[in-house]
Amino acid sequence: MRKLILLATVSIALQGCASLGVQPWEREVLARDDMQLDANALDTAFDDHIYFSKEGTSGGRGFGGGGCGCN
Amino acid sequence: MADRDAKIGAALAAATCSLLGVAPSVSVAEEAEPKWDIDSAFLYYGESDGRVKDFSLSSHATRDFGDERKLGLDLSVDWLTGASPNGAIASDGAQTFTSPSGGKTYTTPAGEIPLDETFLDTRFALNASWTQPFARLYTVSAGLGFSSEYDYQHIGANIGLTRDFNQRNTTLSAAVAYAQDTIEPVGGLPLPLAQMPDAVGDDDDDEDDEDLNPANRGDSSDTKNVLDVLLGFTQVLGRHTVLRVNLSYSDSSGYLTDPYKILSVVDPVTGELIGRTPAPGESGPTGVYRFESRPDSRRKESVYAEMRHDFSGRVLQVGYRYSTDDWEVDSHTLESRLRLPFGGSNYLEPHVRYYQQTAASFYRYSLPNTSPLPGFATADARLSEMSAVTVGLKYGHVTAGGDEWNARLEFYRQTGKAPSEVLIGNQIGNTQMPDFDAVILQFGYRFKL
Repeated sequence: MRKLILLATVSIALQGCASLGVQPWEREVLARDDMQLDANALDTAFDDHIYFSKEGTSGGRGFGGGGCGCN
Repeated sequence: MADRDAKIGAALAAATCSLLGVAPSVSVAEEAEPKWDIDSAFLYYGESDGRVKDFSLSSHATRDFGDERKLGLDLSVDWLTGASPNGAIASDGAQTFTSPSGGKTYTTPAGEIPLDETFLDTRFALNASWTQPFARLYTVSAGLGFSSEYDYQHIGANIGLTRDFNQRNTTLSAAVAYAQDTIEPVGGLPLPLAQMPDAVGDDDDDEDDEDLNPANRGDSSDTKNVLDVLLGFTQVLGRHTVLRVNLSYSDSSGYLTDPYKILSVVDPVTGELIGRTPAPGESGPTGVYRFESRPDSRRKESVYAEMRHDFSGRVLQVGYRYSTDDWEVDSHTLESRLRLPFGGSNYLEPHVRYYQQTAASFYRYSLPNTSPLPGFATADARLSEMSAVTVGLKYGHVTAGGDEWNARLEFYRQTGKAPSEVLIGNQIGNTQMPDFDAVILQFGYRFKL
């Protein structure tokens, strides 16, 4: 049942999103390096590593991080 | 996923060219040439009062093989040193503890939060990933990761699929990661909630710590498995705005306890540390301390949303994460960066981050000297109620050749709070949490080969 609801939500959202967005020739700003969602990849990797080892929650942006016995 | 956006122009140009039956332009042909894009940085992380220091070198390299096929390699080395809170509370008298190896002791002055000074480690980490188109509008990616420390090994793999919709204005993605970690603590795995014993064989010889066989220890190693599932949704909202929303689920099982953390055992009325005398001729703890114990499974769910918006060349990035888990640690994270270009080839980027979390259901400031013992208990401040603030500034300069060097300076302040229901007697109004300030300093250089 939850899967059905999820599927319905996603398909409705996708249809809604069809009216959003830009034409291919309107992407000059979106194509810029500083507009990429992972533009600060190295900074966020360092940050995720620091916060993973100092706080009780991790992940969200990507996978939960970790792979360290940090204390 | 976002890399796709950068590639869309070239991909569309190539597709258009093939439809029209003309040769692709020079820029498209050049982009198809294999080349490395290398982002490297040195990071210093230093906490106040002689606590943890981390020197880290990291490099993120991407090789573009054309046709949206990319190899990613990440390498990092960390050198960690300094002192780390062991979980015990401050006391009116000096406190002596047995070191994690079981072979030495260390002493904390009266009134100070006990720190374990034997903390020293070097960590190597390597990740490799491959991304390529799978079918029209689909991209598949797969990765392998490995890291190694003195007492901890990690191996993991992940696979993901993305699909573009609505003229590539909408992207859905799904990814799964699985990791198996091995924990092999110095001195062996402490038995859950067992008492910290006297030091054994304290001969000042650093080499033989592993053969001491201290009391109240179990096996030498254990494992932890982590399954992560990530569902992502990216939407172009307009010419200047892009939004990403991720839902994640993480299931950890196995050894989730921190083998180096302890709890102070206190009088159930006054909340004062119960004293202890080491056996005759031995050195050891001067109070009663128990090793911590955590459940062997943890399920986390989180939602993460991030938006980037361009204001005439200035880019504002805002992100928010809500996370909840069955340890009852709920957290909110709000983060923002604003990139301000100036002088044609420079930028300044202020950064702020706010974090707050609730305490785990089994967090204790200390353990009352009563029986029976609770099933699980930790005094690790990372599982207490806490909040943290980061404020930083980054400066970047792009050279004439297109390389970039940058520097980042940030300050981090963490403030913990023990929930009132875990405080006993005199602890109320006298709690001391192991709060700290830290400095983050980073120098980076990005270039192409």
